[in-house]
Amino acid sequence: MSTIVVDNTFDDPLRRAPLVLNHDRFDTVTEEVCRVNEEPHPPLAWYITFGISIFLFGILGVMVLYLLVTGVGVWGNNAPVMWGFPIVNFVFWVGIGHAGTLISAILFLFRQKWRTAINRFAEAMTIFAVMCAGLFPAIHVGRIWVIWWVFPIPNQMAMWPQFRSPLLWDVFAVSAYFTVSLLFWYMGMIPDLATLRDRAKTKLKAISYGIFALGWRGSNRHWHRYERAYLLLAALATPLVLSVHSVVSFDFAVSQLPGWHTTIFPPYFVAGAIFGGFAMVVTLAIPARQLWGLKNFITMRHLENMNKIILVTGSMVGFAYMMELFIAWYSGAMYEWFAFRNRMFGQHAWAYWIMIFCNMVAPQLFWSKKCRTNILIMFFVVMCVNVGMWFERFVIVLSLEMDFLPSSWGYYSPTWVDMLTLLGSFGMFLTLFLLFIRFLPVIAMAEVKAIMPQADPHHGHHDDDDDHHHDVEKAEVKS
Amino acid sequence: MSVSQGNMTAGSSERLQLGDLGPRYFRLGVITAIVGVGLAILLGIFTLDSIDRFFRAYVFAFSTILAICLGGLFFTILQHLTRAGWSVTVRRIAEALAWNLTWIWILFVPILAAVWMSHIYHWMHPEGDMLLEHKAGYFFFPLHYDSQVPIFWLVRAVIFFAVWAMLARFFVNNSAAQDKSGDPAITSKMQWWAPLSMFAFAFTLSFASFDWIMSLEAHWFSTIFPVYFFAASACGFFATTIVVIYLLQRAGRIENEVTLEHYQDLGKLLFAFGVVFWAYIAFSQFMLLWYANIPETTGWYITRMSGGWAWVSLLLLVGHFGLPFLALLTKHTKRAKPILASIAGWLLVMHAVDMYWLVMPTMPESTLYEASTLAAFRAEATNEMLGFTPHLLDIALLVGLVGLLAAGTVQRLTKCSLIPERDPRLHEALAFENM
Amino acid sequence: MTTLPTTAPQSTTAKSDPIPDRYLYGVMAEFTTPAQIMKAAEKVRDAGYRWWDCHTPFPVHGLDKAMGIKPTILPILAFLGGLTGVVLGLLLEVFTNATGFEFWLVVPIRGYEFLVSGKPFHSYPAFIPVIFELTILMAASAVFFGMLIFNKLPTFYHPVFKSQRFSRVTDDRFFLVIESRDPKFSRQKTRALLEELDPVSMEELES
Repeated sequence: MSTIVVDNTFDDPLRRAPLVLNHDRFDTVTEEVCRVNEEPHPPLAWYITFGISIFLFGILGVMVLYLLVTGVGVWGNNAPVMWGFPIVNFVFWVGIGHAGTLISAILFLFRQKWRTAINRFAEAMTIFAVMCAGLFPAIHVGRIWVIWWVFPIPNQMAMWPQFRSPLLWDVFAVSAYFTVSLLFWYMGMIPDLATLRDRAKTKLKAISYGIFALGWRGSNRHWHRYERAYLLLAALATPLVLSVHSVVSFDFAVSQLPGWHTTIFPPYFVAGAIFGGFAMVVTLAIPARQLWGLKNFITMRHLENMNKIILVTGSMVGFAYMMELFIAWYSGAMYEWFAFRNRMFGQHAWAYWIMIFCNMVAPQLFWSKKCRTNILIMFFVVMCVNVGMWFERFVIVLSLEMDFLPSSWGYYSPTWVDMLTLLGSFGMFLTLFLLFIRFLPVIAMAEVKAIMPQADPHHGHHDDDDDHHHDVEKAEVKS
Repeated sequence: MSVSQGNMTAGSSERLQLGDLGPRYFRLGVITAIVGVGLAILLGIFTLDSIDRFFRAYVFAFSTILAICLGGLFFTILQHLTRAGWSVTVRRIAEALAWNLTWIWILFVPILAAVWMSHIYHWMHPEGDMLLEHKAGYFFFPLHYDSQVPIFWLVRAVIFFAVWAMLARFFVNNSAAQDKSGDPAITSKMQWWAPLSMFAFAFTLSFASFDWIMSLEAHWFSTIFPVYFFAASACGFFATTIVVIYLLQRAGRIENEVTLEHYQDLGKLLFAFGVVFWAYIAFSQFMLLWYANIPETTGWYITRMSGGWAWVSLLLLVGHFGLPFLALLTKHTKRAKPILASIAGWLLVMHAVDMYWLVMPTMPESTLYEASTLAAFRAEATNEMLGFTPHLLDIALLVGLVGLLAAGTVQRLTKCSLIPERDPRLHEALAFENM
Repeated sequence: MTTLPTTAPQSTTAKSDPIPDRYLYGVMAEFTTPAQIMKAAEKVRDAGYRWWDCHTPFPVHGLDKAMGIKPTILPILAFLGGLTGVVLGLLLEVFTNATGFEFWLVVPIRGYEFLVSGKPFHSYPAFIPVIFELTILMAASAVFFGMLIFNKLPTFYHPVFKSQRFSRVTDDRFFLVIESRDPKFSRQKTRALLEELDPVSMEELES
């Protein structure tokens, strides 16, 4: 198989760019993707990152245990900032968890074929990010052994959850989102698990992949319902993605607190979530395609497309920042205006300016194609976004520091437990993600094959519109 | 697809030109406009005691058609931004609607008159009102409000119309030029400008909606307001496009070029943006203001949930969301041309009702702030005070302005082919199939 | 035009013991390109077979039509699932937060009229998020499990799995199987029909 680096980032109205490079046969696609799972030893970098991740994961476990046996007093949350790191981390991780389902659902509905190379691991990332997110409110409740009180389960105290509370909406939104994302992810994986089953060299592998492949045999009568179900799930997941972060934004926006009570919050949070999620996808895709040689699937064009989405959503977020600021002044509500002045010049002004730089300024580099297609610059920008989106939530939550009543003002500072728990959550996320790369099909092989020109039954029969086939040859060869 | 390709090369074939229909529809539009506006003026002179009522109705009618044109501009830019192939054959309709933005500034003149001659924009008279004095700079900068010349506001209006006219000219003229030269570089040029244009579009639409509609209630504010207006314009645009294409096909035009697949896709977009996205934004705004229930913002909804407006709100809930949602859920309705066109027509009416609901209610402020409970307010406030006084004049003005919109659109459609005949992605649109 | 290296057609029937008629599940032909399976499916459909299927590594565009598959009722199932979610969510919220109604379900279960933040008992705007999430959850579950049930998955045993060559169905090969229970099935004629389609291999499957 050739490993020529082909530039498929051209923008020519006369032809569509090839999305799979250096492959014109289906079996080589299978071979190249399955190698990630089938090679006897993953790359050294995998072991190193896995070691670090599992160590951090361990720290998370210790921190959670320490919290549970001691109480939430070990955190920096205290009057007036009753919501500190836990809610910041929750919103941050839920936001990360939005890109996966966006790629699998919304881009699917918009017939964006390039999604097939990245949807699988973006969806996996979604699942793990939502797991990290769910952890924080769960441990924040204090007495985790009665966490089931958040669900409407009849109990001896005749006590029900309060359905007018946005926090309860969160419980439903996040659990529905997690369930549907899991179904979506798993359903998309069934045909690929069958591939791994059929290629398995050992009995153990054959049985374990076999169980999860559910006996998939590629029957076209199955494919028919499968495709329909996939489309329906996509159509259902699309409003779900929008609703989840809207509901998260309701946590803040239904209150009367200056800086929180703003009607733009729902769409602005959704844009921010997609923004942060895509940044995380790019962050993970860059090393992954390098280490496992997936550059023929996750091509430069894929990265460039994601960078364009980062630019668009980043600008939406920036627009919302400015809109909030403008209306804070325009409203003539002095508390509102004070809250924003305080964000910009108050005790945590540094956090605000980090947010502005990382989310609004840095992504503007992506206006230039050179920056969109340069791995180093790209990595710098997405790291900025990862940081910036965390600080965005931090800035929002810190509106609590100074509300209407000067006598109740305060200064928030996190404790070492807060810090290590946040760090530990990255360990959990990466551990799960690295295990996923090792054991599950990282690229949706069946879907990638279906978008190859060779998959079209009319491929090669007509002379008039069959220019796909020559795309690779025509594309400029870089090196 | 090779069959259609063959037809295409015939190029100037009858089916791709508006032909003799053009002048006929144009006359029809102009006559409708004259009759509608004339009737409205007569009704205004003989039945109204205050000119405010007339100007409010005018702002309503103007917003309704402006939203549709802006939707057309948005769609046109978006197709170049995303390098879309499927939509090539329906793009001309969007372009023709967007083209109206080159002359729509003329229709802004009555709004200028409204600013000076009426009280509907009460930010013109801030003296004694702390809030209005605070935000007077947004309208009067660099002058003092005593001058009665809202320079900053005027300059913004000029910028908005200039930007829209420039964008519309650029995209429409280049697209038409490609019909002649067939040069793919034109597509590349439009694609190059698409992102910047989209930014300019977002910025101008947002502040136009603040300046002309939200400021009717100068005390009130909502950061999501531009998004709401955008959702409304998307609804108006997709509904109009479907209706126009249906009418064109009934007249034997573009029958092979716009297929059931395009109907289904336009139906999906109408469903997604015009119904679901609109409802999402409307609900978000309502929910947040209703839930927090603070005096600064809640009055806007109290007004719209009192008296006759309560019924209009309910109508929007059912007619702009509930019914079309159920109707457009299945692909069968989206693929049945007459049914989809009827749903689109209905949504067009709902779009007008939505704009009416946005523009017409007045907040009876003294009553609102003095009332101790909601029930007390509702008992005090009459439909008159709330601005719920439907009048034949509203419909006459709307019909008149829609007539102008139709005339302008038809005028543009006669100037070139009904589809971009030599767009490099035309073959994709012709071969397009839903999955 | 295929660029795939085709293996010489093999026939497993040449083996020493042919499968007796009553244990015969069907005949399977192997193809290398989507175009071939498409053509084959059209032929088999036109020959009037009913109990047959294509097996492909990915959904081949247009094969549903070529096989004459009827549209699935999954969309209706999704709608009903969604409707269940709406009703369930509404009843749940109204019962638990806005009524003092009591009923017995093994234990007494009683609703409670919460008066919180000055909101009315029946605070429908505040009830919408949960109703919405339950709608999506129910509809999505209905689609997913409906798909599995209609497809009779999981099915861990199936005659096609006995074929060694069939393992490439999840890689790059396309198979067409005609079952022996089809009224039109005849060992010779069916084989002849498939032979005409120029498969790379043919096999008889034991049930």
